[in-house]
Amino acid sequence: MRRLTPRLYNALHSGLWPWLCAACVALSLLMLTALLTLLITRGLGHFWPATLEEVTLVSGDVVIGQPVREAPLPNADSLERLYFTGNRDITGANWRWVAIEDIRHQTVPNDLIRLERSPWGDFLGRLTAVESEGQRLTGQEAWAFVNNTLAKPASQRPAGQLLLTTADGQTLYQSLDSVTHFQTPNAMSWGQKVVTWGQRIWQFLSEGPRAANTGGGVWPAIFGTVLMVILMSVIVTPFGVLAAIYLNEIAHQNRLTHLVRIGVRNLAGVPSIVYGVFGLGVFVYGIGGSIDSWFFSDELPSPTFGTGGLLWASLTLALLTLPVVIVATEEGLARIPDTQREGAVALGATRLETLTRVVLPMATPAILTGMILAVARAAGEVAPLMLVGVAKLAPQMPVDGEFPYLHLERKFMHLGYHLFDTAFHGEDVQAAIPLVFAIALLLVLIVLALNLTAIFLRHYLRRQRGNEC
Amino acid sequence: MTPPRLPLSRQPLRQLQDRIATGLITAGGIGVLLAILAIGVFLIWETLPLLSFGDALTLSTLSPLAWGTLKAALAAMLFATPIALGAAMYSALFMSSRLRSRIKPTLELMEAIPGVVIGFIAGLLLAPWVERNLTSTLLLIMWLPLSAALAGGLWHLAVARLRKRLPLSLAGIWLIPWLACMAALALWLAPLIEQHWLGGDLRRLLDQRYGLDYATRNALIVGIAMGFAIIPSIYSLAEDALADVPHSLMEGAQALGASRWQALWKVALPTAGPGVFSAVMIGAGRAVGETMIVLMASGNTALFSASPFEGLRSFSASIAIELPEATPGGLTYHLLILAALALFIFTFVVNTLAEVVRQRLRRRYQRLGGAL
Amino acid sequence: MLASFSSANAASAPVMRFSAEQCCLSIAQFHLAYAGKAALRDLTLDIPRHRVTAFIGPSGCGKSTLLRAINRLHDLNESVTHSGHIQLEGQDIHDATMNVTELRQRVGMVFQTPNPFPMSIYENVAFGLRLQQRLPKRKRDDIIEWALTSAALWDEVKDRLHRSAWQLSGGQQQRLVIARTLAIQPDVLLLDEPASALDPISTLKIEELIRNLKSQLTLVLVTHNMQQAARVSDYTAFLQHGELVEYGPTDQVFTNPRLQRTENYITGRTT
Ligand SMILES: Nc1ncnc2c1ncn2[C@@H]1O[C@H](COP(=O)(O)OP(=O)(O)OP(=O)(O)O)[C@@H](O)[C@H]1O
Ligand SMILES: [Mg+2]
Repeated sequence: MRRLTPRLYNALHSGLWPWLCAACVALSLLMLTALLTLLITRGLGHFWPATLEEVTLVSGDVVIGQPVREAPLPNADSLERLYFTGNRDITGANWRWVAIEDIRHQTVPNDLIRLERSPWGDFLGRLTAVESEGQRLTGQEAWAFVNNTLAKPASQRPAGQLLLTTADGQTLYQSLDSVTHFQTPNAMSWGQKVVTWGQRIWQFLSEGPRAANTGGGVWPAIFGTVLMVILMSVIVTPFGVLAAIYLNEIAHQNRLTHLVRIGVRNLAGVPSIVYGVFGLGVFVYGIGGSIDSWFFSDELPSPTFGTGGLLWASLTLALLTLPVVIVATEEGLARIPDTQREGAVALGATRLETLTRVVLPMATPAILTGMILAVARAAGEVAPLMLVGVAKLAPQMPVDGEFPYLHLERKFMHLGYHLFDTAFHGEDVQAAIPLVFAIALLLVLIVLALNLTAIFLRHYLRRQRGNEC
Repeated sequence: MTPPRLPLSRQPLRQLQDRIATGLITAGGIGVLLAILAIGVFLIWETLPLLSFGDALTLSTLSPLAWGTLKAALAAMLFATPIALGAAMYSALFMSSRLRSRIKPTLELMEAIPGVVIGFIAGLLLAPWVERNLTSTLLLIMWLPLSAALAGGLWHLAVARLRKRLPLSLAGIWLIPWLACMAALALWLAPLIEQHWLGGDLRRLLDQRYGLDYATRNALIVGIAMGFAIIPSIYSLAEDALADVPHSLMEGAQALGASRWQALWKVALPTAGPGVFSAVMIGAGRAVGETMIVLMASGNTALFSASPFEGLRSFSASIAIELPEATPGGLTYHLLILAALALFIFTFVVNTLAEVVRQRLRRRYQRLGGAL
Repeated sequence: MLASFSSANAASAPVMRFSAEQCCLSIAQFHLAYAGKAALRDLTLDIPRHRVTAFIGPSGCGKSTLLRAINRLHDLNESVTHSGHIQLEGQDIHDATMNVTELRQRVGMVFQTPNPFPMSIYENVAFGLRLQQRLPKRKRDDIIEWALTSAALWDEVKDRLHRSAWQLSGGQQQRLVIARTLAIQPDVLLLDEPASALDPISTLKIEELIRNLKSQLTLVLVTHNMQQAARVSDYTAFLQHGELVEYGPTDQVFTNPRLQRTENYITGRTT
């Protein structure tokens, strides 16, 4: 480089490096946008009533399916296309690769239907007839009947069954109460599609999982996450604030306090899995085991509190997020000018009164920020939960009508873990991926919304505090 | 003007309340602090029984895990450090301040994306895609920096009007479409290159020529995914350090005729060096302990291999997988807790170091800022 | 004259004594240091009851430090050490039997920079009252109105008592904190440059207030404004480098100072 003329060297040196640095920012933003776009399109697209195609192959086979993606054929110039065909009970697979060259004929008939059934997943094909209460309906009557009945919940439907035909002409009897959702995507207008799309998003948010977690909704997981996070903040906020007040307002500001402060700050950087190990060893095996041997000894060896559960998960996450709350609160306390404290003290306030009437109200935005950051961190944290009490599929919700209503010892479902489990331990991961995208999108939205709230609070509440009362 | 008289009153209760509350806060505060610090004590306590296993104790089961942990962290750091530091330098010193006030929180928000989401995308989408398009991936990694330099070169050649429309201070934004186009170009070119120079299939070539196996979920994937996750924390801390370099210093250097980049290189970086270093350390701490991404993107095969195309298994992933099944008190249980202790000590030491360095730096800035 | 000019030690400072029933605050051999750095040195003086005593002196000479010591505000700062005695009505304020909060209710303090709480104007003034006792709202409102009126603020804020105190101007804030202190009706009022941010009209009002209050309480005033000290105070003390240089009736200190140092300071000549 030195050989080059100094001017060129300088130009290269000072001229190009900044561009590389700028590209780093651009690249980070690009990756972030790509990730979010991917999540949003795939996550929301999952609920869109996709067009179904009917393809006739050269071999004479007929395939009904939803085209998913195309890939180049190995060792050839042409492409092949992946169809989601459903009908796992009949054909044994949900997917079919079709070489584009083999397609002789491709149509989008309006009478194709897509059923979601509670065993076996989706059915794609045609509706031939309906048999209900001894009657057999065909044609328009059948459609009218199906549209009417399937709008009702399964328990209120009359007994009966649908007569269905698959692409290759096989017939299938499907009882009415096993159908959870019914649509004819090709016949829908754009408006109808939007409505269906909204309905299915709502179902996703409000229903429980089906088909070994590969379908259905995530309501128990949302509920479990929220409940755990609430319990956690109930534990972490008072203790975190207490510790911060002690450190900042009461403790002598000496070397030891300084060291403790650095220690607390560093604990925020300790990997979450380590907290999980602590939770398992101390809360579950230590405290939980002791509680079991004292109070639930008649149920041993099956553990009550001696296994992962809601309480231990909340406690572990509370410990994990304590540094966040302490640091945020301490920052808020340190920002309050001493003149405020002196003003209160000079009017004859005791330390407690100064604290509760002047200092804490002023530190509230900081405390709230800390709490929200803690919640955001806890909502996305999965690793420690795998050790202390999250369940793949919890048979019982942790809150129900049975005394004592809130069952702290129960296992619970968690969005993040649900995502991990669906994506990695399902039977048909391919079929679950769209759902996983929806879960991931939901999780990211929750966490980002929480973080944005914290940022908003930090920036605006502090400024506006002077104006409101 | 006489005041309305106040009835005299004394309230011994208030004093008592104050005493009790102070006592409670002190007790509670110390209790909470002890509880957090108890983590270290617990981990050490639970690894002590390992000594009683005597001959049965072999740490050899842990060594591939230690290797995997380091390999994953190293891969992530290789990916993240240049990008994060480059971004920090750019946004601290070249970016327009208005843009900076938007971009910085956005990039910091990246940190909030849960590891499980990144792991899922890496393990289930990125990994199969990279497996199918290995050439494209490697080409992208080489091509993108070049294309950035190309953008810089073109900019210097461009007419003045265009240069004013697309200034360097906004390059962080308008380079995005450029990079996207360049990436698309690379993706389009990759199959051709693979056909002509790499014998049609890079993976087979690697296998035959160099004996490199290719696992779908491998260190490369972990590096990219975890790198993505730790970019924001390195960026944010390094940016703070660089942006806090007293202005007078930079201006002094530029007044002597140094270009902005030279001022950055000769003045800002040496001054902020410790801060940048501590940012990298904290990033390393995160990379070592991250669990879900490694768990989902690495294949979890405990191997001793330096190849970036083979799987690995880290401490954190092993703990997450094996600890729930391990019987308390057994050898595996204690070994896994030893692994957790190693993670704890490593991150704690790294963070303490970083914190001490940062405080030194803050004092240095105060001195410099005051002196000049 | 020449002898006292050359020596700057405390021994040459005149010790003005008041009889026990005249004396409100009595400070004796008071030392105070911030983290070992002396800020007040061997201070001995009596402050008479129901009079205005002014402290003057160059910036950093320890005037605020002394006022804060009388209020025991240094208790909050661990690095402060002190020795000597301060007696309020014959009782040592550092005595174990002394109740600090009660002391601070008896000794009101107005700080150099106004520090209203982030609450409404009303709540600011009611703050000290609420600490002490539950008053019926009527009575409390009366006291608050009286305090605000005394501090020459009532007319400006009577329509917006429930707005934030932080919206007031600097001078208004200063009068608000005076009102806040008056509301708890202390026996001694320590004013640390109460007129530093005020316009001439408000300053006159405050001075008027000080003269009025004299009949009920003992006032200690720190000011950098010589005319003000001369106008309102009965006695003046001149501090320098944490030491009491001269203390006497205001007329005497201003017209016929005993020490050259004092005269230089008052007339604005550099020594
Ligand atoms: N909190 C503190 N810590 C350490 N030193 C202090 C502190 N407060 C004041 N000092 C020092 O004590 C000395 C006296 O300060 P003080 O505030 O009493 O001065 P002052 O006479 O009120 O000055 P001014 O007229 O400017 O208000 C000064 O040298 C100051 O630096
Ligand atoms: Mg002062």
